[in-house]
Amino acid sequence: MSTHAAPAPTVLPAAIPAAPAPAPQANAGKALGIGLAGLALTALGLLVPGNASAVAVAWLVGVVFWTAVAIGMLMLVMIHHLTDAGWSVVLRRQFEHGISGFKWLLLLFIPLLVASWLGAGDIVWPWGNLNHVMHGGHTVGHDPLYEKKSALLNLRTFSIVSVAVFAFWIWISARLRKASFAQDLDGDAKWSAMNHGTSASGITLTALTLTAGALCWIMSLEYHWGSTIYGMWFFSDCIRGALSVGLLVQLWLYNRGDLKGILNKKHLHSIGMFMHAFTAFWAYVAFCQYLLIWSADIPEETFWYNLRELNHDGSTNQWWYVGLGLVFFNFLVPFLLLLSYKHKITPAKVAPIAAWILGTVVLDLVYNIVPVLKDAHGDPQPFLSLNLVWIVTAVIGVGGVFAWSYLKSFASTKLIPIRDPRIVECITYHE
Amino acid sequence: MAAQPYGLIATFESASGVYHAAETVRDAGFKHWDCITPFPVHGLDRAMGVKRSVVPRFALAGGVLGFSSAMGLAFFTGAVDYKIIVGGKPFFSPIPTTPIAVELGILCAAIGTVLGFFFMCGFPMHYHPVLKSDRIVPALDDKFLIVIEARDPKFNLAQTKALLEKIGGQDVKELEA
Amino acid sequence: MSQVQTSVATQAILDEVKPAVLPRPVLVENNRSHAWITDKVCGVIEGKTPLWWWICFAVASAVASCSVIGFAYLVSTGVGVWGHANPVNWAWDIINFVFWVGIAHAGTLISAILCLARQNWRTSINRTAEAMTIFSVACAGLFPALHVGRVWLAVLPGYLFPAPNANGIWPNFRSALEWDVFAVSTYGSVSVLFWYVGLIPDLGTLRDRFFKRGDKIRSAIYGFFAMGWRGSNRHWVNHEMAYLLLAGISTLMVVSVCTIVSFDFATSLIPGWHTTIFPPYFVSGAIYSGFAMVLTLLLPMRAIFKFEDLITAYHIDCLCKITLVMGTLVGYAYLMEFVIAWYGANPNEGFTFVNRTFGLYSWAYWIMFTCNVVTPQFLWFKKVRANFAWVFILTIFINIGMWFERFVIIVTSLARDFLPSSWGYYSPSIVEILTFFGTFGVFSVLFLLFIRLLPIIPMAEVKSVTPQADVHGKHS
Repeated sequence: MSTHAAPAPTVLPAAIPAAPAPAPQANAGKALGIGLAGLALTALGLLVPGNASAVAVAWLVGVVFWTAVAIGMLMLVMIHHLTDAGWSVVLRRQFEHGISGFKWLLLLFIPLLVASWLGAGDIVWPWGNLNHVMHGGHTVGHDPLYEKKSALLNLRTFSIVSVAVFAFWIWISARLRKASFAQDLDGDAKWSAMNHGTSASGITLTALTLTAGALCWIMSLEYHWGSTIYGMWFFSDCIRGALSVGLLVQLWLYNRGDLKGILNKKHLHSIGMFMHAFTAFWAYVAFCQYLLIWSADIPEETFWYNLRELNHDGSTNQWWYVGLGLVFFNFLVPFLLLLSYKHKITPAKVAPIAAWILGTVVLDLVYNIVPVLKDAHGDPQPFLSLNLVWIVTAVIGVGGVFAWSYLKSFASTKLIPIRDPRIVECITYHE
Repeated sequence: MAAQPYGLIATFESASGVYHAAETVRDAGFKHWDCITPFPVHGLDRAMGVKRSVVPRFALAGGVLGFSSAMGLAFFTGAVDYKIIVGGKPFFSPIPTTPIAVELGILCAAIGTVLGFFFMCGFPMHYHPVLKSDRIVPALDDKFLIVIEARDPKFNLAQTKALLEKIGGQDVKELEA
Repeated sequence: MSQVQTSVATQAILDEVKPAVLPRPVLVENNRSHAWITDKVCGVIEGKTPLWWWICFAVASAVASCSVIGFAYLVSTGVGVWGHANPVNWAWDIINFVFWVGIAHAGTLISAILCLARQNWRTSINRTAEAMTIFSVACAGLFPALHVGRVWLAVLPGYLFPAPNANGIWPNFRSALEWDVFAVSTYGSVSVLFWYVGLIPDLGTLRDRFFKRGDKIRSAIYGFFAMGWRGSNRHWVNHEMAYLLLAGISTLMVVSVCTIVSFDFATSLIPGWHTTIFPPYFVSGAIYSGFAMVLTLLLPMRAIFKFEDLITAYHIDCLCKITLVMGTLVGYAYLMEFVIAWYGANPNEGFTFVNRTFGLYSWAYWIMFTCNVVTPQFLWFKKVRANFAWVFILTIFINIGMWFERFVIIVTSLARDFLPSSWGYYSPSIVEILTFFGTFGVFSVLFLLFIRLLPIIPMAEVKSVTPQADVHGKHS
């Protein structure tokens, strides 16, 4: 991600703002309002009888999606520091605001733990209740596969892991943010060195914690099934989400006038190239997992995909079309559109592509999470159902809180890292 | 009598020298002219007014051709020409064919890129007036040249020579065809 | 969107803001001129062949003859001359294939992915790394082509190449082994194309230099391949685009080829092979071993040719860091395999991993683990990265470890398969050992020819990242 151009050019655009950015307090309030409204609407779903699980699972989709975005931002910030990148300095600042959201995401994750502890243990994760009846009539408690995995899959270990991974993300985000913001004030190069060091060990630990999160929160929903590539699949969604949000935020700031004279075509081109690369990476990981399971054809693995293709009576269910939709809409459409240079550099074209990717990343998470909701025959509840409403409200609700956290942080510091050693390189970055 | 020269050739000492000179030549409205540099000078294409390369189209065509021909081959051999059940798998499925299609797509895209590059440059072109000049050795080492061709409608031996000298060109000479 | 308008007046703002100062490491030390770079790199080719080169070449040829003899004996006698026996019917042939293909990947990564990621430090090392790629692929290709014993079958229709055989049956496109044929031949071809496109400008320079020195024959040979390159900026635009495209294409390729190699194992049902992380695991392992090999080759080359100003301590530092990242990724894959082996609760899978760690081949496992997971940890320390003797030794260990990784994956899983009655213990025969040993000779012969005949540092690319190349810089 870096440019080792010749020595820094000695000129700087006049637009470099030394003053703090205008405080978007009104926007922050609006975002929080939307967020709380979305969450309240989702919670309203609890009033529908027998709907508690659907609401809880939708809530999980909302929290996991925005957590994925935040993890992706965290990873990109650390990759930026590790590669001593130049062009992405301004983008990094947006990500630094974004990762302030981890504490609120943890706060929003806790209701799921509380519901599992105090309410029905299997409200989201079927293994949370030993009396949960599996397809075939026996209970989780009598499932030999569960017994082997019970060391991890019990509410106590699960809660500790969940809180611990969030705690790590909160801590490392705070550390990275603090050093970066401190540099704005004193322009000391030691902060860059400190972030470089934090990132070196941080990236390893973040890889492990995001894998733990993906395994516990998503993969264990269907706990008979395991896939070693699952952490990488989750990582690809994290980065794609973060890049798309980052791009949209940058364009929004540009249109507001904040980034006029700072953001240029070349920045958009570079972000677009990364979006393109990670679209291919997602397809790669998803395809490898599917191909290997398809090819070996072992029932203990194929059932995960079969659930998402066929009902117990052999008829095709709606998830089959969702799966196909992911191939075309989550991979092929953005991949082909981003092949074009023009699409990458034209704001009016790349913004819808980024929004589209965000939508399909949600769809990808829905495909992985929501089929845990079963009907009376053990088939997944159909995709097109009332559940979709709670998913949409939960994603918007958590997103509102996330945006509020971003805006609050945005108002508290400089618009761009004005004293970053690579700031001139970033602003004069062009073809 | 001396034959019509190919054009005028001028030497520049630095990358920024040729860069600023190129901007002037471009603004003077010349069409048939060129910069000769030992390495790709960053931004010189814009200073010269050269358009973005169209080589990507050749690559895309190659990639599509390779990908679809592999899919077609697997379909024809597996599901049409000689149906044989292996491992209980369908006669044709895009899933196990994808690796082959991707590889063939990559191969053909690469070949398309190289052919497109050669085609757009007119390679192989082993004879060229610039190559005959003894200035090609420093030009592929550490010097920079600007060549303005005589066939350019704006070309005028005296005036163009004056222009090249004015913008810092050294040793401005006629280049024989 | 408008391009950034720069003006001298804004210098005032810069003076007021005072961003932190953290200069980028220079890529060419001692502020060398472009002419110096040309003379230095071309000098290697234009000078007299040094004595050490002839000695190395003789030794390398002698080592390579082991492979020639080994393969000749194999083809004339049969595959029985190797140590394969039930249940281990696949061993050093595929291990060596994966080992050499893996090494190849670093070259493509340096020239392709780092090019896309605009890591300009790659310029001075990418030519060597790509050469390494091509020669490694050549060594790798020997094993699948010759392990069939009756090599003529490899070229007859219906076995490898997509054409119907005598009974009208086509190769099985659903087989991972057939995918390999496409993957490896694509890898070889595209690597050569990528290498060649990068070479064209430098071949032009050599053509004209030899012509000026009056060496018409060599000038004609280099000139033939230079295609009439004349440094025209209208050509550079296309060249840069073609190079960038090939970088993008090669990035897809570097990932897909090692993925397909991993499919050889992962599409099967063998415990320890059938796991979904194999594709990225093989890719990172391949890049890891390749970077170790790049360092193993670069460090002596840099010392012999006194290229310290072009391949600087900063370059070595960057290479070490990537090696560390890849080593950590490999460690992640080891960890995931164990986690899911436990989580999957499949007794066969669980047994395989316990057997790898503590079974008859545990010695190989611990060699692998020490070399691959412990060795790179030293690279966390700046002092180690700056000590090239240490780096050299560490990379040798990584090379050894990566060979053992393939040995562990392949042999331990096969030697203890589903039926305990057919369990066995595999040891290689002397023919296998010598054949593998000989491939290092084959590689060295090719590499020595490369450093004698072609510019080992891409002159044009290195010049383009010097301060003098910046049209807005201080040198204007």
